[in-house]
Amino acid sequence: MSDSSFNSLGVKVVFASSCDENHPPENIMDGNTKTFWTSTGMFPQEFVIRFPEPTRVAAVTVESYNGTKTVVTINSTHCPGSVMKFERTERHLQLNTLSLNGSSAVHLRFVIASGHDHFVSVHRVTVKT
Amino acid sequence: MRKLQMQKDHKLLFSTVFIPVHAGDAAVGKSSLSHIFYSGGSLFQKNYNMTAGVELLMKCVNIPETNDTVELYILDSAGKETLAEGCEKMWGEPSLVCLVFDLTNEQSFVNCSGWMERVRTHCQGLRVSGVLVGNKSDLSARREVQASVAKEWAQSQGLEYHETSAKEMENCDAPFLSVARAFYSLYNEHLETVRNLSPG
Repeated sequence: MSDSSFNSLGVKVVFASSCDENHPPENIMDGNTKTFWTSTGMFPQEFVIRFPEPTRVAAVTVESYNGTKTVVTINSTHCPGSVMKFERTERHLQLNTLSLNGSSAVHLRFVIASGHDHFVSVHRVTVKT
Repeated sequence: MRKLQMQKDHKLLFSTVFIPVHAGDAAVGKSSLSHIFYSGGSLFQKNYNMTAGVELLMKCVNIPETNDTVELYILDSAGKETLAEGCEKMWGEPSLVCLVFDLTNEQSFVNCSGWMERVRTHCQGLRVSGVLVGNKSDLSARREVQASVAKEWAQSQGLEYHETSAKEMENCDAPFLSVARAFYSLYNEHLETVRNLSPG
Protein backbone atom coordinates (compact mmCIF):
# COMPACT_ATOMS: atom_id res chain seq x y z
CA MET A 1 0.00 0.00 0.00
CA SER A 2 1.36 3.38 -0.86
CA ASP A 3 -0.01 6.81 -0.26
CA SER A 4 0.62 9.42 -2.86
CA SER A 5 -0.94 12.44 -4.38
CA PHE A 6 -2.38 11.94 -7.84
CA ASN A 7 0.21 14.18 -9.34
CA SER A 8 3.05 11.83 -8.57
CA LEU A 9 1.12 8.99 -10.21
CA GLY A 10 0.80 11.11 -13.35
CA VAL A 11 -2.88 11.67 -12.75
CA LYS A 12 -4.55 14.73 -14.23
CA VAL A 13 -7.77 16.61 -13.70
CA VAL A 14 -9.38 16.32 -17.14
CA PHE A 15 -12.66 18.05 -16.44
CA ALA A 16 -14.00 20.59 -13.98
CA SER A 17 -17.36 22.34 -14.01
CA SER A 18 -16.01 25.73 -12.86
CA CYS A 19 -12.90 27.69 -13.57
CA ASP A 20 -11.58 30.76 -11.85
CA GLU A 21 -8.15 31.08 -13.40
CA ASN A 22 -6.73 32.16 -10.05
CA HIS A 23 -7.90 28.88 -8.54
CA PRO A 24 -7.70 26.34 -11.38
CA PRO A 25 -8.59 22.61 -11.21
CA GLU A 26 -4.88 21.66 -11.30
CA ASN A 27 -4.71 22.83 -7.69
CA ILE A 28 -6.68 19.73 -6.66
CA MET A 29 -3.75 17.44 -7.37
CA ASP A 30 -0.72 19.61 -6.63
CA GLY A 31 -0.42 18.02 -3.18
CA ASN A 32 -0.77 21.39 -1.45
CA THR A 33 -3.80 22.19 0.72
CA LYS A 34 -3.04 25.93 0.57
CA THR A 35 -3.98 25.97 -3.10
CA PHE A 36 -7.47 25.01 -4.16
CA TRP A 37 -10.04 24.73 -6.91
CA THR A 38 -13.28 26.57 -6.22
CA SER A 39 -16.71 26.37 -7.73
CA THR A 40 -18.03 29.64 -9.17
CA GLY A 41 -21.69 29.06 -8.44
CA MET A 42 -24.61 26.66 -8.64
CA PHE A 43 -24.80 22.95 -8.00
CA PRO A 44 -24.02 20.22 -8.86
CA GLN A 45 -20.33 20.77 -9.44
CA GLU A 46 -17.99 18.09 -10.65
CA PHE A 47 -14.46 17.20 -11.61
CA VAL A 48 -12.98 14.14 -13.29
CA ILE A 49 -9.45 12.82 -12.86
CA ARG A 50 -7.67 10.38 -15.15
CA PHE A 51 -4.95 7.85 -14.35
CA PRO A 52 -2.37 7.22 -17.07
CA GLU A 53 -3.24 3.52 -16.92
CA PRO A 54 -5.78 1.30 -15.10
CA THR A 55 -4.89 1.53 -11.42
CA ARG A 56 -6.17 -0.43 -8.44
CA VAL A 57 -7.39 2.11 -5.94
CA ALA A 58 -7.73 1.18 -2.28
CA ALA A 59 -9.06 4.51 -1.08
CA VAL A 60 -9.40 8.12 -2.03
CA THR A 61 -9.18 11.09 0.34
CA VAL A 62 -10.77 14.47 -0.37
CA GLU A 63 -9.85 17.66 1.47
CA SER A 64 -12.50 20.26 0.84
CA TYR A 65 -14.58 23.09 2.27
CA ASN A 66 -18.36 23.61 2.29
CA GLY A 67 -19.17 20.39 0.43
CA THR A 68 -22.07 18.22 1.56
CA LYS A 69 -22.87 15.12 -0.48
CA THR A 70 -20.34 14.01 -3.07
CA VAL A 71 -20.82 11.02 -5.37
CA VAL A 72 -17.70 9.24 -6.61
CA THR A 73 -18.05 7.15 -9.76
CA ILE A 74 -15.40 4.86 -11.18
CA ASN A 75 -14.79 4.86 -14.95
CA SER A 76 -18.32 4.88 -16.32
CA THR A 77 -21.14 7.21 -15.48
CA HIS A 78 -23.45 4.19 -15.75
CA CYS A 79 -21.96 2.53 -12.67
CA PRO A 80 -23.64 3.39 -9.40
CA GLY A 81 -21.51 5.85 -7.48
CA SER A 82 -20.33 5.73 -3.90
CA VAL A 83 -21.61 8.50 -1.71
CA MET A 84 -19.37 10.57 0.58
CA LYS A 85 -21.13 12.71 3.16
CA PHE A 86 -19.18 15.73 4.33
CA GLU A 87 -19.81 17.29 7.72
CA ARG A 88 -19.87 21.05 8.01
CA THR A 89 -16.64 22.54 9.35
CA GLU A 90 -15.72 26.02 10.52
CA ARG A 91 -12.32 27.52 9.79
CA HIS A 92 -10.74 24.22 8.85
CA LEU A 93 -10.87 21.77 5.96
CA GLN A 94 -13.19 18.81 5.62
CA LEU A 95 -11.19 15.59 5.47
CA ASN A 96 -12.99 12.52 4.16
CA THR A 97 -11.81 9.15 2.92
CA LEU A 98 -13.74 6.72 0.74
CA SER A 99 -12.70 3.09 0.50
CA LEU A 100 -12.77 1.76 -3.07
CA ASN A 101 -11.59 -1.80 -2.22
CA GLY A 102 -8.95 -2.03 -4.91
CA SER A 103 -11.29 -1.28 -7.80
CA SER A 104 -9.50 -0.79 -11.08
CA ALA A 105 -9.89 2.80 -12.22
CA VAL A 106 -8.94 4.92 -15.21
CA HIS A 107 -11.30 7.76 -14.44
CA LEU A 108 -12.73 8.91 -11.14
CA ARG A 109 -15.62 11.32 -11.29
CA PHE A 110 -16.55 13.43 -8.26
CA VAL A 111 -19.96 15.07 -8.29
CA ILE A 112 -20.54 17.55 -5.49
CA ALA A 113 -24.31 17.55 -5.24
CA SER A 114 -24.67 20.49 -2.89
CA GLY A 115 -22.86 22.73 -0.46
CA HIS A 116 -23.13 24.26 2.99
CA ASP A 117 -22.75 27.60 1.20
CA HIS A 118 -23.08 28.94 -2.33
CA PHE A 119 -19.53 27.87 -3.20
CA VAL A 120 -17.32 24.87 -2.46
CA SER A 121 -13.58 24.42 -2.70
CA VAL A 122 -11.47 21.29 -3.13
CA HIS A 123 -7.92 21.59 -1.82
CA ARG A 124 -6.37 18.17 -2.29
CA VAL A 125 -7.29 14.71 -3.48
CA THR A 126 -5.04 11.85 -2.42
CA VAL A 127 -5.17 8.24 -3.53
CA LYS A 128 -4.10 5.05 -1.83
CA THR A 129 -3.12 2.33 -4.31
CA MET B 1 -21.79 21.06 -18.59
CA ARG B 2 -20.46 24.56 -18.57
CA LYS B 3 -17.32 25.03 -20.55
CA LEU B 4 -15.58 28.33 -20.31
CA GLN B 5 -13.30 30.26 -22.58
CA MET B 6 -11.35 32.55 -20.33
CA GLN B 7 -9.75 35.85 -21.01
CA LYS B 8 -6.87 36.78 -18.81
CA ASP B 9 -7.98 37.75 -15.34
CA HIS B 10 -11.55 37.12 -16.28
CA LYS B 11 -13.91 35.26 -14.03
CA LEU B 12 -17.34 33.98 -14.81
CA LEU B 13 -19.62 33.24 -11.87
CA PHE B 14 -22.95 31.48 -12.10
CA SER B 15 -25.99 32.25 -10.08
CA THR B 16 -29.65 31.45 -9.99
CA VAL B 17 -31.99 34.31 -9.23
CA PHE B 18 -35.42 33.42 -8.07
CA ILE B 19 -38.36 35.74 -8.79
CA PRO B 20 -41.52 34.41 -7.22
CA VAL B 21 -44.91 35.91 -7.87
CA HIS B 22 -48.23 35.28 -6.17
CA ALA B 23 -51.13 34.02 -8.20
CA GLY B 24 -53.24 36.86 -6.90
CA ASP B 25 -50.50 39.38 -7.58
CA ALA B 26 -49.99 38.50 -11.19
CA ALA B 27 -50.14 42.13 -12.20
CA VAL B 28 -47.21 43.40 -10.14
CA GLY B 29 -45.14 43.40 -13.29
CA LYS B 30 -42.24 41.19 -12.46
CA SER B 31 -42.46 39.37 -15.77
CA SER B 32 -42.29 42.59 -17.72
CA LEU B 33 -39.39 43.63 -15.50
CA SER B 34 -37.35 40.53 -16.18
CA HIS B 35 -38.19 40.66 -19.89
CA ILE B 36 -37.07 44.25 -20.24
CA PHE B 37 -33.89 43.45 -18.42
CA TYR B 38 -33.41 40.43 -20.60
CA SER B 39 -34.10 42.07 -23.94
CA GLY B 40 -32.43 45.36 -23.11
CA GLY B 41 -28.96 43.84 -23.20
CA SER B 42 -27.06 42.66 -26.21
CA LEU B 43 -25.70 39.40 -24.90
CA PHE B 44 -27.34 36.04 -24.97
CA GLN B 45 -30.46 34.90 -26.76
CA LYS B 46 -31.51 31.90 -24.79
CA ASN B 47 -35.05 31.51 -23.74
CA TYR B 48 -36.97 28.54 -22.46
CA ASN B 49 -40.64 28.41 -21.76
CA MET B 50 -41.08 25.63 -19.30
CA THR B 51 -44.44 23.98 -19.30
CA ALA B 52 -45.07 23.95 -15.57
CA GLY B 53 -45.12 27.67 -15.01
CA VAL B 54 -41.45 28.42 -14.40
CA GLU B 55 -39.64 30.46 -16.98
CA LEU B 56 -35.88 30.56 -17.25
CA LEU B 57 -34.09 33.59 -18.61
CA MET B 58 -30.33 33.81 -18.78
CA LYS B 59 -28.34 37.00 -18.70
CA CYS B 60 -24.74 38.00 -18.20
CA VAL B 61 -23.96 41.00 -16.04
CA ASN B 62 -20.51 42.57 -16.04
CA ILE B 63 -19.40 43.73 -12.63
CA PRO B 64 -18.29 47.36 -13.02
CA GLU B 65 -14.59 48.08 -12.57
CA THR B 66 -13.63 44.40 -12.85
CA ASN B 67 -13.17 41.95 -15.71
CA ASP B 68 -15.65 39.64 -14.07
CA THR B 69 -19.06 38.56 -15.18
CA VAL B 70 -21.94 36.99 -13.32
CA GLU B 71 -24.23 34.83 -15.41
CA LEU B 72 -27.71 35.04 -13.94
CA TYR B 73 -30.21 32.25 -14.45
CA ILE B 74 -33.44 34.03 -13.74
CA LEU B 75 -36.23 31.71 -12.64
CA ASP B 76 -39.53 33.40 -13.12
CA SER B 77 -41.96 31.36 -11.09
CA ALA B 78 -45.60 32.04 -11.86
CA GLY B 79 -49.02 30.54 -11.14
CA LYS B 80 -48.17 29.54 -7.61
CA GLU B 81 -51.62 28.43 -6.51
CA THR B 82 -52.40 26.21 -9.45
CA LEU B 83 -48.97 24.70 -9.99
CA ALA B 84 -47.39 25.07 -6.59
CA GLU B 85 -45.95 21.56 -6.32
CA GLY B 86 -44.42 21.54 -9.77
CA CYS B 87 -43.01 25.03 -9.46
CA GLU B 88 -41.48 24.50 -6.06
CA LYS B 89 -39.58 21.48 -7.33
CA MET B 90 -37.99 23.66 -9.96
CA TRP B 91 -36.81 26.25 -7.52
CA GLY B 92 -33.96 24.06 -6.39
CA GLU B 93 -31.80 26.04 -4.04
CA PRO B 94 -31.79 29.56 -5.41
CA SER B 95 -28.66 31.59 -4.76
CA LEU B 96 -30.40 34.94 -4.82
CA VAL B 97 -33.89 36.25 -4.64
CA CYS B 98 -35.62 39.14 -6.38
CA LEU B 99 -38.97 39.94 -4.76
CA VAL B 100 -41.19 42.19 -6.83
CA PHE B 101 -44.25 43.97 -5.53
CA ASP B 102 -46.64 46.57 -6.89
CA LEU B 103 -46.18 50.01 -5.33
CA THR B 104 -49.89 50.68 -5.94
CA ASN B 105 -51.00 47.53 -4.10
CA GLU B 106 -50.16 47.28 -0.42
CA GLN B 107 -51.19 43.62 -0.18
CA SER B 108 -48.53 42.66 -2.71
CA PHE B 109 -45.93 44.24 -0.40
CA VAL B 110 -47.34 42.50 2.70
CA ASN B 111 -47.17 39.16 0.87
CA CYS B 112 -43.41 39.57 0.42
CA SER B 113 -42.62 38.35 3.93
CA GLY B 114 -44.43 35.06 3.26
CA TRP B 115 -42.38 34.66 0.11
CA MET B 116 -39.17 35.40 1.92
CA GLU B 117 -39.99 32.62 4.38
CA ARG B 118 -40.69 30.13 1.62
CA VAL B 119 -37.43 31.01 -0.07
CA ARG B 120 -35.53 30.61 3.21
CA THR B 121 -37.03 27.13 3.63
CA HIS B 122 -35.74 26.19 0.21
CA CYS B 123 -32.29 27.56 0.83
CA GLN B 124 -31.73 25.21 3.77
CA GLY B 125 -29.59 27.46 5.87
CA LEU B 126 -27.78 29.19 3.01
CA ARG B 127 -27.59 32.93 3.42
CA VAL B 128 -30.28 34.49 1.27
CA SER B 129 -29.42 37.78 -0.33
CA GLY B 130 -30.95 39.72 -3.15
CA VAL B 131 -33.28 42.60 -3.88
CA LEU B 132 -36.74 43.90 -3.13
CA VAL B 133 -38.25 45.73 -6.09
CA GLY B 134 -41.19 48.11 -5.91
CA ASN B 135 -42.55 48.26 -9.44
CA LYS B 136 -44.91 50.71 -11.16
CA SER B 137 -43.15 53.81 -9.82
CA ASP B 138 -44.73 55.69 -12.77
CA LEU B 139 -48.17 55.50 -11.10
CA SER B 140 -47.26 57.98 -8.36
CA ALA B 141 -50.85 59.12 -7.74
CA ARG B 142 -51.88 55.58 -6.84
CA ARG B 143 -48.91 54.74 -4.66
CA GLU B 144 -49.85 52.77 -1.50
CA VAL B 145 -46.40 51.78 -0.25
CA GLN B 146 -43.92 54.42 0.86
CA ALA B 147 -40.31 53.98 -0.19
CA SER B 148 -39.07 54.41 3.39
CA VAL B 149 -41.28 51.56 4.69
CA ALA B 150 -40.24 49.21 1.91
CA LYS B 151 -36.60 50.11 2.32
CA GLU B 152 -36.68 49.45 6.05
CA TRP B 153 -38.25 46.01 5.59
CA ALA B 154 -35.77 45.17 2.82
CA GLN B 155 -32.83 46.04 5.07
CA SER B 156 -34.22 43.90 7.88
CA GLN B 157 -34.23 40.96 5.43
CA GLY B 158 -30.76 41.61 4.05
CA LEU B 159 -32.14 42.80 0.72
CA GLU B 160 -31.35 45.92 -1.27
CA TYR B 161 -34.32 48.07 -2.25
CA HIS B 162 -35.05 49.41 -5.74
CA GLU B 163 -37.98 51.11 -7.38
CA THR B 164 -38.66 50.59 -11.06
CA SER B 165 -41.14 51.28 -13.76
CA ALA B 166 -41.21 48.43 -16.21
CA LYS B 167 -43.74 50.38 -18.26
CA GLU B 168 -41.49 53.39 -18.64
CA MET B 169 -38.43 51.12 -18.71
CA GLU B 170 -36.97 53.09 -15.84
CA ASN B 171 -34.26 51.67 -13.65
CA CYS B 172 -35.00 48.08 -14.74
CA ASP B 173 -31.34 47.10 -14.93
CA ALA B 174 -30.59 48.25 -11.39
CA PRO B 175 -32.12 45.33 -9.44
CA PHE B 176 -30.27 42.78 -11.55
CA LEU B 177 -26.99 44.63 -11.36
CA SER B 178 -27.56 44.70 -7.63
CA VAL B 179 -28.11 40.92 -7.33
CA ALA B 180 -25.07 40.29 -9.51
CA ARG B 181 -22.98 42.49 -7.22
CA ALA B 182 -24.39 40.70 -4.18
CA PHE B 183 -23.38 37.35 -5.62
CA TYR B 184 -19.96 38.69 -6.55
CA SER B 185 -19.33 39.83 -3.00
CA LEU B 186 -20.47 36.44 -1.65
CA TYR B 187 -17.85 34.87 -3.90
CA ASN B 188 -15.11 37.18 -2.67
CA GLU B 189 -16.10 36.47 0.94
CA HIS B 190 -15.90 32.77 0.19
CA LEU B 191 -12.38 33.15 -1.26
CA GLU B 192 -11.29 35.10 1.78
CA THR B 193 -12.62 32.40 4.13
CA VAL B 194 -11.04 29.59 2.14
CA ARG B 195 -7.63 31.31 2.03
CA ASN B 196 -7.61 31.38 5.83
CA LEU B 197 -8.55 27.76 6.51
CA SER B 198 -6.43 25.44 8.59
CA PRO B 199 -5.79 21.84 7.52
CA GLY B 200 -8.43 19.26 8.45
